Amino acid sequence: MVVARANWKGFIKFGGVAVAVKLYTVASSSERIAFHTLNRVTGNRVRRVFVDSETGDPVEPEEQVKGYEVENGDFVVLEPEDVASAIPESDKTLKVEAFVPCNEIDDVYFDKPYYLAPDKMGADGFKLLRDGMRKGRVAALARTVLFRRLRTVLIRPHNNGLIGTTLNFDYEIRSSEEAFDQLPDLKIEGEMLELAKHIINTKKGSFDPKAFDDRYESAVAELVKAKIEGRALPKERAPSPSKPGDLLQALRESAALVSARKPKRSSQKTDDGASSRKAQRSSRSKRTA
Amino acid sequence: MALRPYWKGYLKLSLVTCPVQMTPATSESEKVRFHTLNRVTHNRVMSRYVDAVTGKEIEDEDAVKGYQKGEDDYVILEDEELENVALDNTKTIDIDVFAPSDSIEWIWLDTPYYLSPNEPVGEEAFSVIRDAMASEDMVGISRLVISRRERAVMLEPRGKGIVLWTLRYGDEVRDENAYFGGVDDSPSDPEVVLLVQQLIKKQTRHWDSKLVADPVQDKLLEIIEAKRKQTKRPAKTKEINPKPAPSNVINIMDALRKSVEGENRRGKR
Repeated sequence: MVVARANWKGFIKFGGVAVAVKLYTVASSSERIAFHTLNRVTGNRVRRVFVDSETGDPVEPEEQVKGYEVENGDFVVLEPEDVASAIPESDKTLKVEAFVPCNEIDDVYFDKPYYLAPDKMGADGFKLLRDGMRKGRVAALARTVLFRRLRTVLIRPHNNGLIGTTLNFDYEIRSSEEAFDQLPDLKIEGEMLELAKHIINTKKGSFDPKAFDDRYESAVAELVKAKIEGRALPKERAPSPSKPGDLLQALRESAALVSARKPKRSSQKTDDGASSRKAQRSSRSKRTA
Repeated sequence: MALRPYWKGYLKLSLVTCPVQMTPATSESEKVRFHTLNRVTHNRVMSRYVDAVTGKEIEDEDAVKGYQKGEDDYVILEDEELENVALDNTKTIDIDVFAPSDSIEWIWLDTPYYLSPNEPVGEEAFSVIRDAMASEDMVGISRLVISRRERAVMLEPRGKGIVLWTLRYGDEVRDENAYFGGVDDSPSDPEVVLLVQQLIKKQTRHWDSKLVADPVQDKLLEIIEAKRKQTKRPAKTKEINPKPAPSNVINIMDALRKSVEGENRRGKR
């Protein structure tokens, strides 16, 4: 297998030890379906141009600068070198500033993962850091300039190697406490909880990313075909929410359903057997994907 | 401040259904944001669409999505039409599979969202699903169409709510063996590992969001403030004697930060 070129080369430094490492992108995010922007009136493709908001004249890329609005309509202009001067000099070093227990890490801060592999001569120190962290069930927090931005990187052992995940800054994340603050504090106990746990256990399985396929593109192709042929596609009907009074009944019926289907489904087909009773009764428009 | 939901729909477990809403965990509101200016006039630069054939500017409402059927052959698709795409999970998160909570490697986590009940009528059903997952130490796996893609998603109970992660596609994650296969697996000297463990222990701290503070943003605000003083001209203001800016740098920083927040909030286009 051909190994991709490293996206970054540098060092991890912990307790006076510097380990030469190479960093590689883990995930490439691919745009699946590309729509083009058209002019509805003419049906032609459109281009994007940048114009001065007052004069309407086109502004070439080299004439565009960053501006920070200090008062209404009053800007401080920042040239690229001004922005660059705020970023510390890159010393190509991921300096470990602290270790944190893995089970305390708030994963909501995660940005992008990178594989970290030892560069030549770096293997001994690399393995020590990896094995030490694994034994202590901790990950390391380091800071460095990556791709011209100062980043905090969470470094953790992963099989034979290390994974470095860039983290979002505190002000880029809303905490879950804040997000869920207004929710009522309902604790579910007794029969309802037991029934729901039973349903969950009958649906026990695993996530297999390799088996997952994005069906959106083919669904859009289907939509286009229907439009050309002048057919209407069946609309998805909003399900009716379970009313609090009916919740226990819905759980009992669900539990009875899954128990009846004891031989577990082997594949992850999304068409759900659980609602098939209802579906047969109420509509014939339900689609099997 | 209540955020506008990014997505609204239903959460479903077998015959139990509740209305839910979803907001991104990431937020731009406190980030220093810049506008693009024309260097010569200092006016803002705006993006406009022009017709590729006629060269004429077009109105925003005339810009529409086109699905490419062949060379120079497009079918126009309105947003409302796209919403009718025939997938059963554009409006419903039907939890189909549950997996042990530690079985999904962090590497698959893509983007986090916060999921919560959307109407009081759904609060109890939502809590049932959340608490059952929590007490079994399981996460839910489902499918959801968002941002014009069908995504695998993971639902994880968190406090009074649920964190929903989009998961990466199988073909997006590169095979680690290409990178780690060459690392020799001979064991490290146990004595030295012990030493490393001691060092690690000394430097181990509790997780705290202060660990992900950003010194660069503060520095940027300082640079902006310095430039502002330097270039202070009575340009567009009619006031001849503007109030002297307080010399206390901390106050200025606070003021700037507040203005960032205020400005970003209304700056959403």
